[in-house]
Amino acid sequence: MSQSSTIRILDGNTFVVSEDTGDIEATPTEPTGLFSLDMRYLSTWVLTINGERLNALSYDDLQYYEARFFLVPGVATHYIDAKLSVIRERAVGGSFREQLTILNHDEKPVDLEIRIDAAADFADLFQVKDEILNKKGELYSEAEPDRLRLGYRRGNFKRETVICSSVPARYDRQGLAYTVHLEPNEQWDTRIDVQTMAVGPGGRDLRMGLRAHGNERLALQHDLEEWLRNAPKVNTQHEELASTYRRSLIDLAALRFSPLSLGGATLPAAGLPWFMTMFGRDSILTCLQTLPFTPQLSQTTLRILAALQGTRFDDFRDEDPGRILHEMRYGETAAFEEQPHTPYYGSVDATPLFVVLLDEYEKWTGDAALVKELEQESRAALKWVDDYADLVGNGYIWYERRNSDTGLENQCWKDSWDSVSYRDGKLPPFPRATCEVQGYAYDAKMRAARLAREFWDDPEYADRLEREAAQLKERFNRDFWVEDGEFYALALDPDGRQCDVLSSNIGHLLWSGIVDHERAEKIAQHLVGPRLFSGWGVRTLAEGEVRYNPIGYHNGTIWPFDNSFIAWGLRRYGFAEESAIIASGILDAARYFQGRLPEAFGGYPRELTKFPVEYPTACSPQAWSTGTPMLLLRTMLGLEPHEGHLAVEPRLPVGMGRIEVLDIPGRWGRVDAFARGRMEIEEPAG
Amino acid sequence: MVDATTRFFEDLDRRGFEPVLAKTKGTLRFDLHEGAQTTHWLLRMDRGRVEVTQEDAEADTVVGTTPELFEDLATGRENGIAALFRGDMTVTGDARLVVQVERLFPGPPDSRGPRRRFERGMQR
Repeated sequence: MSQSSTIRILDGNTFVVSEDTGDIEATPTEPTGLFSLDMRYLSTWVLTINGERLNALSYDDLQYYEARFFLVPGVATHYIDAKLSVIRERAVGGSFREQLTILNHDEKPVDLEIRIDAAADFADLFQVKDEILNKKGELYSEAEPDRLRLGYRRGNFKRETVICSSVPARYDRQGLAYTVHLEPNEQWDTRIDVQTMAVGPGGRDLRMGLRAHGNERLALQHDLEEWLRNAPKVNTQHEELASTYRRSLIDLAALRFSPLSLGGATLPAAGLPWFMTMFGRDSILTCLQTLPFTPQLSQTTLRILAALQGTRFDDFRDEDPGRILHEMRYGETAAFEEQPHTPYYGSVDATPLFVVLLDEYEKWTGDAALVKELEQESRAALKWVDDYADLVGNGYIWYERRNSDTGLENQCWKDSWDSVSYRDGKLPPFPRATCEVQGYAYDAKMRAARLAREFWDDPEYADRLEREAAQLKERFNRDFWVEDGEFYALALDPDGRQCDVLSSNIGHLLWSGIVDHERAEKIAQHLVGPRLFSGWGVRTLAEGEVRYNPIGYHNGTIWPFDNSFIAWGLRRYGFAEESAIIASGILDAARYFQGRLPEAFGGYPRELTKFPVEYPTACSPQAWSTGTPMLLLRTMLGLEPHEGHLAVEPRLPVGMGRIEVLDIPGRWGRVDAFARGRMEIEEPAG
Repeated sequence: MVDATTRFFEDLDRRGFEPVLAKTKGTLRFDLHEGAQTTHWLLRMDRGRVEVTQEDAEADTVVGTTPELFEDLATGRENGIAALFRGDMTVTGDARLVVQVERLFPGPPDSRGPRRRFERGMQR
C-alpha cells in the first residue's frame, strides 16, 4: 500500500495515514485513517474554514512520529492571494495530537468559522479495503460539552475515540467547530487531543498504559536520539550507502513495537502500515539482519516469541506444542475469532529460525544467560520440527493448514496461493515441503548442538542433533536435487515428486549450510546467472519458468530481504564475488527509493528498465527490507564473530570506495571495522 | 459432579512443577462474578511451582470474568486471548501473568492436531 501522496506517522501500532493536507477521508481504495490496535479510530478528519477545504502548500514529515502541514484556504488557482495561513502540526505517541495554528496576514480583521468533521467507522484492519456495510455491533457518537466521543460497541467489545480541544469548541455528533475573530497579524491556536481507547467492562483500557517508549513528543525525540547514538556509525565515500544506512536505522526505530505481554520492551514489527504487529518470521529474520547493529532487538524478540510458544493443539489457530507464532492481531475480527490471529501459528519456518537466532545472538553478544533461560523453549521447538511438522513421516518439515477457512495455504515466506508450482506450472497438493525450510531445520539442529554442548551441559543431545542433521543433509541432497537442471527443487509434494522450478530459495540453502560442497558452485552460478539475476537482484522465480512474471508477487519479483540472505549464504560458501554482485545490485536499487528499500520490486532486466520498478502494493517501510542494507554491510565486510572476537574479512567491489563501521557492539565491547573496495567484479548480463 | 473450573485449579495445585510457568513469578487472582457473588481463585506462582487457594487476597494481576466463560476456557471451548481482546475477560495489573497462565488452558476439544499421512501413536 504505497500511495505516494499519503503521509504516515506512527508510534508502535498507533498510526495515522492522511492526505497531504492532513485530511482523512477513508475509502476502500484510499484506506487513510487513524489506526490503533488494528482498528480504525478516525475515518473522517476534515478541516474547513468558512466552509472551504484547504490546500497544501507543503508538508514536512519531521520524524516518524510527527508531521507538519502548511495550508491555505481555497483551490490551487487562487491561493497565492491567500490572506490566511494554516499550520497543522501533529504527532502520535499513544494518542494522536494536532496543533492547529491560523495566522491572519490581511490588513483587515477576519471572522472565521473553523470546523473539523470527525467520524469513525471502527473498521478492522482486515476490512479497510472493503466497503464497511454491516458492522455486527453498534456505532455511536456523543457530543458532550467538552468532548466528542465516537464509539463502537459489540457485546463487551468497546472501542472509543475521544476528541478534546484545548480552546473551547462547539461539539456536535459530526465534529467540532470554532467561531474566531482575528485582528490583522493576529494568530489563533488550539490543541486537539484524540485518544484511542480500548475499553473493557469497568472502563479500564486493555493496554493499561503500556507503551513502546514514553509517549510524549519529547520522550520520543529523546528515545530516537539515543537509538541513533547507540548504533554503530557508518562512514563511507559511497554517499548513498551512508544515507541508506541512516534511513534504515531510523525506520527500524519507527518499526519497534511493544506487545501487550512484554511490559514495554520492544521488537521489530513487520511493516507500515498494515503489518504493525508481531510476526514470528519477519521479526526473527529482521533480528538476524540487524544483529551487528542493534542486538537488543533480538533479545526481546526471542523472549516474546518464547513466552507465546504453542502449548496445545488448536486447529483454528494451527497451534501445536512447541510451535512459534506467525502473527498476532488485536482487532475486532481477531477478538471475535473471525480471523485466527490470537495468535495464529501457521508458519513452518519461524520455529527452526527461533533456534537459529538464539545461537547467532549468543555468538555476537555472549549472552549465555538467555541461552540457558530459553533451553526449554529451544528443545520444544526442535521437538516440534521432528514430531509435529513431519506430516509424511520421511524426516522433512511439511505444512498443510488445519484451518481451511482463514488459515494460510502456504506457510513459508512465499505465502501467496500460487507461489509453489511444478515446472509445468501446476500447483502441487498438500502437504508441501519447501526446500529452504529444510535448510533452516538443518541449521537449527547444528546450532542447537553447539548450545547443548556449551551451555546446556548435554553432550548426548548435541551428538544426537548432529547425527540427525547429517542424516537430514544426506537425505535432502538426494531427494531435492534436480538432476537435469542442477539445482534444488523448490518443494516436494506428498508423493515425493519434485516441484522442479528454479527459484531464489536455493540461496537460503547456502545460508543454512545444507548444500553439499561440490554442488555449491553450481548453485552460486545459478544465483548470478541470467535466469535468476536481473542486474539488481535475484528473482523469486527464474525467467523461463511457466509461472514467471516480473511483477508476480512471489513468482518473479525481487525481494531485497531474500537477496540479503542469499548474499550471506554465498559468503558462507566462499563466493565473495557473487555475494558482492548481489549486494551492490540491491544497494544500487536503494538509491531509487531514497534509501528505503521496498518490500519487493519488479524482476525486469536492469538494462531494460534502467531503474527498479516498485511492486504496486508493497508495504513501506517494511522491517526485513529495512534490515537488508545492514546485512549486506555485514556480508561485504565479512563481519563474523569468531572465538570471542570479531573477525573482519572485507571483500568490497571497487565502486564502494572506503567503508568504516565504528563501534560495533558485541561480546568484545565495541570495535571498528574498515574496508576498501578492491574487488573488480564482472557484472553478469542481466 | 465436579465442574471443569474446579478440576482445572485442583490439577494445577497438585501438579508440583508446571514447565509453562518455569519463568513466571507472581500472584494472579481470578474473580468469577455471578450477580452479587464472586468466587476467587488465587494462584501463587514461583518459577514453575504453583499453589492454588480460594483466598480473596491481593494479587499482582486480577482477572475478572464469569463462571460460564471460565468453564469454557477450562474445557478449551473458548480462547483466553480472544476473550481478553473481546472484553469478556478483564485484567488489572501485570498483563504478562495472564498471558502465561492462559497457555495452561487446553485446546478446543474437537481439535485433532497435525494431519499425518502415516500411522504413528499420537500423544496429546
